[in-house]
Amino acid sequence: MLIEQILIQTVNGIVTGMILALVASGLTLIFGIMDVVNFAHGELFMLGAYVGVITLAATGDFWLAFVISTLTIAALGAALYWVTLRPLLGRDALTTILATFGISLVLQNYALWQFGPVARKIQEPVTGHFSFFYLDYPWYRLVIALASAAIIGGLWLFLKFGTFGIWIRATMQDRVMAQAMGIPVPMVLTAVFAIGSGMAAASGVLFGPLVGVNHAMGLDWVLKGFIVVVVGGMGSLGGSIAASILVSLLEAYASLIVSPAQSVIVSFVVLILTLLFRPTGLFVRTPR
Amino acid sequence: MNIGSDRMEPLVRVEDIHTYYGKSHVLHGVSLEVGRGEVVGLLGRNGVGKSTTLKAIMGLVRPALGRVLFEGQPVTHLQADKVARLGIAYVPEDRRIFGLLTVTENLRTGLDRRGVTDARKKELLDKAHQYFPVLAERRNQAGGTLSGGEQQMLAIARAMMLEPKIILLDEPTEGLMPRMVSQIHRIIDVLRAEGVAILLVEQNVPLTLEASQRIYLMEKGVVRHHALASELRVTDPVIHQYLGV
Ligand SMILES: Nc1ncnc2c1ncn2[C@@H]1O[C@H](COP(=O)(O)OP(=O)(O)OP(=O)(O)O)[C@@H](O)[C@H]1O
Ligand SMILES: [Mg+2]
Repeated sequence: MLIEQILIQTVNGIVTGMILALVASGLTLIFGIMDVVNFAHGELFMLGAYVGVITLAATGDFWLAFVISTLTIAALGAALYWVTLRPLLGRDALTTILATFGISLVLQNYALWQFGPVARKIQEPVTGHFSFFYLDYPWYRLVIALASAAIIGGLWLFLKFGTFGIWIRATMQDRVMAQAMGIPVPMVLTAVFAIGSGMAAASGVLFGPLVGVNHAMGLDWVLKGFIVVVVGGMGSLGGSIAASILVSLLEAYASLIVSPAQSVIVSFVVLILTLLFRPTGLFVRTPR
Repeated sequence: MNIGSDRMEPLVRVEDIHTYYGKSHVLHGVSLEVGRGEVVGLLGRNGVGKSTTLKAIMGLVRPALGRVLFEGQPVTHLQADKVARLGIAYVPEDRRIFGLLTVTENLRTGLDRRGVTDARKKELLDKAHQYFPVLAERRNQAGGTLSGGEQQMLAIARAMMLEPKIILLDEPTEGLMPRMVSQIHRIIDVLRAEGVAILLVEQNVPLTLEASQRIYLMEKGVVRHHALASELRVTDPVIHQYLGV
């Protein structure tokens, strides 16, 4: 009985962890390259879910809606970057924090005004369940985990191989030298913001069917996203992914003992312990 | 001061540039020229503005006054990536290797440009490996794990991948062992033989006098003296006056 519960919570933790990893990858990518903490990330997640709702209603095809939403929010992210953040590059980090915070308020209130306070529903593309011990486990949750893993894997391949990936990693390490090597840094930064935004939207659409889509849905995720980005080591993609899974697993196990609402405390405990004992992040090799 | 001015159109021409870091006025009207395929030394004490001059040519600091011409065209207000694409490569004094990228990826930052065929890329990589065999050995190693001398080789090789017409070389021998210094000297000679111009900033006066054709001496943000390298000796009074050796 206990073993079964632990197994179920392990699966739950990994599934939630994969979604969180998708949110956090976009966040950490943007932080890593621009030193910008993007407080509007949760709103891009939320708007992605709304664009998903609308395109799903219009087309009836979940995966088409998923792709359209990702591309739309990627374009929105690029535009937001170009208009609001690019002019602030190189200034005090506080100005960009305030700018993204402002964008987040604007987008959230825009969504409230446009779509109203009543949560919308996204119909999942895969409805069946399979039995998992004594529980019916929805297939769709596995679909989410696999889709997230595929996107993250794709991002990794994109960064690792291919010229644009090298440009992104070079720009992350030394923006000035990258530009002196002929890399079109302004374009790289815009593209990274677009990719991070698109990933937020993708996770919003994927997660939409599990909860209602409403204007405040981004808050929880972005908060947890920040936690795992810090725990994993700011700007480290692998670190954020590992931290997402670790934190989600710990929360899932904790919910066996305390109520799910209380289990959220676990992520804050991990955050505080990390900041106290390993402030550069759990999964970052400490420099020699 | 008309040495060099008989050339019709210099490759790089710096005209009376002034630069500021915030309120501090660093360059007070620097003018100099580098001809095609020419190696030119830029000497001066610490803090006189040698590196700032290179950064201004590269578009990394903006002159408040004056202009930089490349092949007769003003490039003063171009972003550094555009300047690099025109054919000016930069090897900064702290090398600035991409430490987390492998040696090959470091080279590819300069190699993966529009209009370079795969065959040409391979030729250029082979050339880098031939000039710097150690880079071939360490091709899959992270740049940050190389020794100082190896990083300097990588920085020069990376600049060469741009197929530049000129390389701005800032203190390439700083902190290197004598064996490495002579290797750098050899590479400068090879590049010159290939027709690549070099603007060489150095503290190593004998090396600069040997490797360069002309020398500019800077003091406090201006060029004070200009001579053919063959006319200068390490023991010359002007060298003593401006470098205090
Ligand atoms: N980013 C900066 N901000 C403020 N001042 C600077 C900056 N970079 C250089 N300076 C100042 O500008 C002056 C010229 O610097 P520069 O680096 O060009 O000198 P240099 O001739 O290359 O010296 P060195 O031989 O030590 O490399 C120095 O007084 C230096 O302190
Ligand atoms: Mg210097």
